[in-house]
Amino acid sequence: MKNSHFDHLLHTREGRRNFYYCTISVIIAIVFLFPLYWMLQISFKSDMETFGKVLTYFPKKITVDPWLTNLKDSNFISSLKNSFINGFLTMFISLLFGIPAAYGMGRYKPKGFKVFLLAFLVSQMLPASLMLTPMYLTFSKIHLLGTYIAPPIAIAAGTIPFVIITLRPYFKSIPVSLDEAARIDGCNALQSFFMVMVPAVKTGIITIVVISFLNGWNDLMFSMTFSVKPAMRPLTANIHKFQSVYGTKWNCIMAYGAILVLPVIIMFIFLQKYIIGGLTAGAVKE
Amino acid sequence: MKKDKTRESYAFILPAFIYLIVVVGYPIVYNFVISFKNMDVSNLQSGTSVFIGLKNYTSLFSNPTFLLILRNTFVFTICCLVFQFTIGFLFALFFYKKFTFAGPVRGLILVSYMIPMSVTGLLGQNLFLNNGVINDLLKHIGIAGPQWLVQTSTAIIAVIIMNCWVGIPFNMLLLISGLSNVPQEVYESSSIDGATKLEQFFCITLPLMKDAIFAVLMLGFIYTFRAFDLMFIMTSGGPLNSTDVLATYSYSLSFTQFQFSKGSSVAVILFLCLFVVGLFYLKLIINGEEKEES
Repeated sequence: MKNSHFDHLLHTREGRRNFYYCTISVIIAIVFLFPLYWMLQISFKSDMETFGKVLTYFPKKITVDPWLTNLKDSNFISSLKNSFINGFLTMFISLLFGIPAAYGMGRYKPKGFKVFLLAFLVSQMLPASLMLTPMYLTFSKIHLLGTYIAPPIAIAAGTIPFVIITLRPYFKSIPVSLDEAARIDGCNALQSFFMVMVPAVKTGIITIVVISFLNGWNDLMFSMTFSVKPAMRPLTANIHKFQSVYGTKWNCIMAYGAILVLPVIIMFIFLQKYIIGGLTAGAVKE
Repeated sequence: MKKDKTRESYAFILPAFIYLIVVVGYPIVYNFVISFKNMDVSNLQSGTSVFIGLKNYTSLFSNPTFLLILRNTFVFTICCLVFQFTIGFLFALFFYKKFTFAGPVRGLILVSYMIPMSVTGLLGQNLFLNNGVINDLLKHIGIAGPQWLVQTSTAIIAVIIMNCWVGIPFNMLLLISGLSNVPQEVYESSSIDGATKLEQFFCITLPLMKDAIFAVLMLGFIYTFRAFDLMFIMTSGGPLNSTDVLATYSYSLSFTQFQFSKGSSVAVILFLCLFVVGLFYLKLIINGEEKEES
């Protein structure tokens, strides 16, 4: 029975083509995932094997020591915590300002619509470098340097436009009658927004929650510059610092990288559909 | 009634708009102002910096290091765009076909796009070590690999390769969504007329995807031209500034040499280059918006 199934797979023209295409796609996947595999396998190697003369493509003996070296280090743990703080604060600010604006832009067509759209598109395109020096000087004047909120304020400036542009089509697709019905039932604009409109675009909300968190998690430039105390820096901004401690102990460095990547991979596995949808709609990455 | 609606909509939109004016608009103006001054660490506290006109800019353009960095930025951007776009397009055409693994593999290779660029830089450092895996693989096919990150001529190649690892899946994703907007019937009727696959690609697919292609290239330029994280972690701009780009140079002027005005003027030049390309992109988006409304 099984045999005839395979016969069909390889002996029809369709089946053969499917087989070839699948083979090519597996090769592509191997090439593209190889760097991540490489990072992971080094992170499970012993010091001795890392310093060995012969390059091995799989650990001879798997050890979690490099991971523990990182996880037992209080500096590492505080950086990890800072990365989460960075991600969540960026997400919070971006959603707070972004979701209402996306609704306003999708549901209404107010005077000055084009000006708003232009402002959002432009701020999405701007290089962070352009804001870095003036913001550093301003933050220094108003004593925001070295606070947890300083980097997310800057990161959110790039993420808010993303939220607006990604979420607007979702709000636009809700029939206006839904809002009107809610008003007749006695809701005001704000109640209708929170109780009817936002729940109706749940898919879009998941997308922007994930991506705005990742924008904060992945940030390097703002976090490194505005968190003047290294103890307040997230993992991304402390890479060089840890590298100077680990030297050429690549197993520890790669474990560091792997832990930094892990939350991204977990989110990606479970929420792939939302992330990809959002990337296509907003076409944005910070 | 109409007035109510307008007021309502402003209540939703204005907080975000004001946020961006304060957090983006103000710094940009301030950045321009600083770039015409002589602000550095010596006069920051006292606030005694003065306007010196275009001096920062003229000194930049007579500085060979800056000219090298300007060149690096363009070489990096253009090489990345060419490879990302071509390979990304081939991948898009391939993964747009229907086969069992098309969906899963397409999703899988996008992971490189999601991870922090700083980790990509870290990975690049390891892969391109003198006795690293790239050279090991090259040895197996009989090629003696160069000292990638030590030589000025090869370091930029390594950085470009790492950036393409991220850029190819992204280009693919956007181009697939462009492909899916080409109506299938056009292909069917043209193959009845006897058009070959290649003719179909050049006479149907490309022209119909014009806007999508244009948008992908513009976005690609904008994101690649302002690259920072990759070089900062992977090479720190070295060896001998060979992988320094405008963003990393601006950062090091402002925050390792504390010459804030010099750093700002490099950022302005970065901005102006993006602005030219950005205008075309904005026009495309706004036009699309108008088409959709009418």
